[in-house]
Amino acid sequence: MGLRKPKATRETTTKMRETVKLISMEGFEFIIDREAAMVSQTIRSMLTSPGGFSESKDGVVTFPDISTTILEKICQYFYWSLQYSRGKETEFHIEPELTLELMMAANYLHT
Amino acid sequence: SLSFKMERKTIDLDQGWDYMQTGITKLKRILEGLPEPQFDSEQYMMLYTTIYNMCTQKPPHDYSQQLYDKYREAFEEYIHSTVLPALREKHDEYMLRELVKRWSNHKVMVRWLSRFFYYLDRYFIARRSLPPLNEVGLTCFRDLVYNELHSKVKDAVIALVDKEREGEQIDRALLKNVLDIYVEIGMGQMERYEEDFESFMLLDSASYYSRKASSWIQEDSCPDYMLKSEECLKKERERVAHYLHSSSEPKLVEKVQHELLVVYANQLLEKEHSGCRALLRDDKVDDLSRMYRLYHKIVKGLEPVANIFKQHVTAEGNALVQQAEDTATNHAANTASVQEQVLIRKVIELHDKYMVYVVECFQNHTLFHKALKEAFEIFCNKTVAGSSSAELLATFCDNILKKGGSEKLSDEAIEDTLEKVVKLLAYISDKDLFAEFYRKKLARRLLFDRSANDDHERSILTKLKQQCGGQFTSKMEGMVTDLTLARENQNSFEEYLGNNPAANPGIDLTVTVLTTGFWPSYKSFDINLPAEMVKCVEVFKGFYETKTKHRKLTWIYSLGTCHLNGKFDTKPIELVVSTYQAAVLLLFNTTDKLSYTDILTQLNLSHEDLVRLLHSLSCARYKILLKEPSTKTVSQSDSFEFNSKFTDRMRRIKIPLPPVDERKKVVEDVDKDRRYAIDAAIVRIMKSRKVLGHQQLVSECVEQLSRMFKPDIKAIKKRMEDLITRDYLERDKENPNMFRYLA
Repeated sequence: MGLRKPKATRETTTKMRETVKLISMEGFEFIIDREAAMVSQTIRSMLTSPGGFSESKDGVVTFPDISTTILEKICQYFYWSLQYSRGKETEFHIEPELTLELMMAANYLHT
Repeated sequence: SLSFKMERKTIDLDQGWDYMQTGITKLKRILEGLPEPQFDSEQYMMLYTTIYNMCTQKPPHDYSQQLYDKYREAFEEYIHSTVLPALREKHDEYMLRELVKRWSNHKVMVRWLSRFFYYLDRYFIARRSLPPLNEVGLTCFRDLVYNELHSKVKDAVIALVDKEREGEQIDRALLKNVLDIYVEIGMGQMERYEEDFESFMLLDSASYYSRKASSWIQEDSCPDYMLKSEECLKKERERVAHYLHSSSEPKLVEKVQHELLVVYANQLLEKEHSGCRALLRDDKVDDLSRMYRLYHKIVKGLEPVANIFKQHVTAEGNALVQQAEDTATNHAANTASVQEQVLIRKVIELHDKYMVYVVECFQNHTLFHKALKEAFEIFCNKTVAGSSSAELLATFCDNILKKGGSEKLSDEAIEDTLEKVVKLLAYISDKDLFAEFYRKKLARRLLFDRSANDDHERSILTKLKQQCGGQFTSKMEGMVTDLTLARENQNSFEEYLGNNPAANPGIDLTVTVLTTGFWPSYKSFDINLPAEMVKCVEVFKGFYETKTKHRKLTWIYSLGTCHLNGKFDTKPIELVVSTYQAAVLLLFNTTDKLSYTDILTQLNLSHEDLVRLLHSLSCARYKILLKEPSTKTVSQSDSFEFNSKFTDRMRRIKIPLPPVDERKKVVEDVDKDRRYAIDAAIVRIMKSRKVLGHQQLVSECVEQLSRMFKPDIKAIKKRMEDLITRDYLERDKENPNMFRYLA
């Protein structure tokens, strides 16, 4: 699950990252597995682009239009989706007040 | 907390586009190889987000259509400003390299831009039924770059191909990359590759090989030409593997084959000293195998080769037949028959030799099996010195199977030869004639105990049965069985004599009872037997009636053998003679001297037979009777006397009768059987068809009978007329060419 920290400095690594960092509009950073992030087609396209990215800047994305609450829910969704496709068929609960924003974010992320 | 951000800041088209331009410019710099850092994930997402937002804004700020157009324009601008000029200034191989680079770059550009603009692909293009972004991008290149250059490129490529054909090294990887463009630019269809490149390449290849072929066919021998052709085809296949599209292979190969092998097929195969005929003559197995390989893939390519093969084998076979014929006319009778046997051996060897060709050089292809078969059918049905091939073959078998025939050969060798003989039979059209000759000779072997080996006798019957069917061998098998039964029967007879001493004829008697249907027909006529023999006949008849009441015995004295004790002055000698000869000799027990006429009257024989008998006893090797006058032949005015002074080193001698010429009788018998067979076939066909036209009836008849013999058309017509008079068939009243079955 994600770590909640206020705006932190970016780390530098030299290898292919196994995690990606998603930053909400408020600056919260969610570090999640690459595999989970790729549930989003948009993120997946970016991570598999030709030519590659410079490794130091790979895998950090800011979403100025997505709130922390929503981004957190989205990260939870990623992990739920992975589990579901592996056979653990549980329900994904969505608080009703989040529905609209969540759908818009999902559209943006092509999830 | 409820942060419900519905309001984003609206992005103006120009503003948004300016931002996108920075991304596009960065991309171009990267592609041009200029120092430019790669995109990072933030930049990527920003570009994507910009498009996303501009597409999801509320009207009038939803800019999907405009962005779609600007997307295309971005490519067009880049192509016009940078790509095309770079290509236009280069030529030949340099141009090709530049094209490959530019195409590669273009694909990268499409990939990146289409990801940034991806949101358009999700809903907009479907809603408006527009081509997706990827296609738009590729189409730009096709319409602006490819369409202008493809002809020039094609020329450059073909020039390199021909260069390579002449032995120069070229950059194959480059050509592969160029041709991949033709394929990819078709966007799923092969049309561009086929129309803009392949068709020209094929034309060029055809004319290239046409030029080569026209000079090679003059200069090279057939084997050399074939080697070159094989090499060319190999190289062209390699060419496809290295840089042409795989779909070109069959088309290219067909063109090359056409120019090298089809156009000049006749000249090549018929080359005077090195063509197909010469290769066969000189046993050039490798070259012939190559010829097969090359022409096998060409439609109808093998037909002329198979034809030449057939002609060659026929010529060789005819030569053998002619050789035998010549020897027969130039030499005495007995060397002639040896030559005939030699002929069969040579024909077998010929078959073995060319069967190897069919199997190995010609890979067991049916066309060549057929050619071999037809060749053999031609010369295997020729007569040699009056003997049909059917007879020659039967005599050949007889020589192997009789005692003293092939004792030098091992069992395996004999089996092998018998196998091959049966195979040869397949080529002989008058199989029924063979069967009859074989049966006659088999009878002789069985009745006179001249069969060398029972197993071989049975073995060949099995082989004949396999090849020609049970009907072919049923009579022969019956004959062999009869002999076994006869032995048992003889034992019973001896037992009977033991139990009935009064019935004993006083002479050792062995009787072989034959089932009439199985054995060849023999003339039998009423010779006046000496009294001793008459008694034998009666005694056996009595015995036989105790066994069965419903059978009639017909005695064939011409096949009997007698052992007589000749009481000559010097020493007694046992004479092994035929029953007829015995009948003649026994007459001299009561009278010393007899005239020809006396003997004739007493025995009741025909002149022909009597002359034969008396000759064998008085004019041949062993003179048991003295003839007056002692001329070399028997005449009706001669008289005969017992030669008491006769003697010989041996204690027992066999006095043979010269064999009667069977041939005439065999041919007569077979002709008779054929008439019945034709009748049966006609009736069978008409019974099932009810109504049939003349031509068809004749041809079906021929087909049905072909397993056993080749019927004479005139004979069929004659039989049809006969069947009409016998009310089996009738002619149709309106159409005399139609026949109807009468039930």
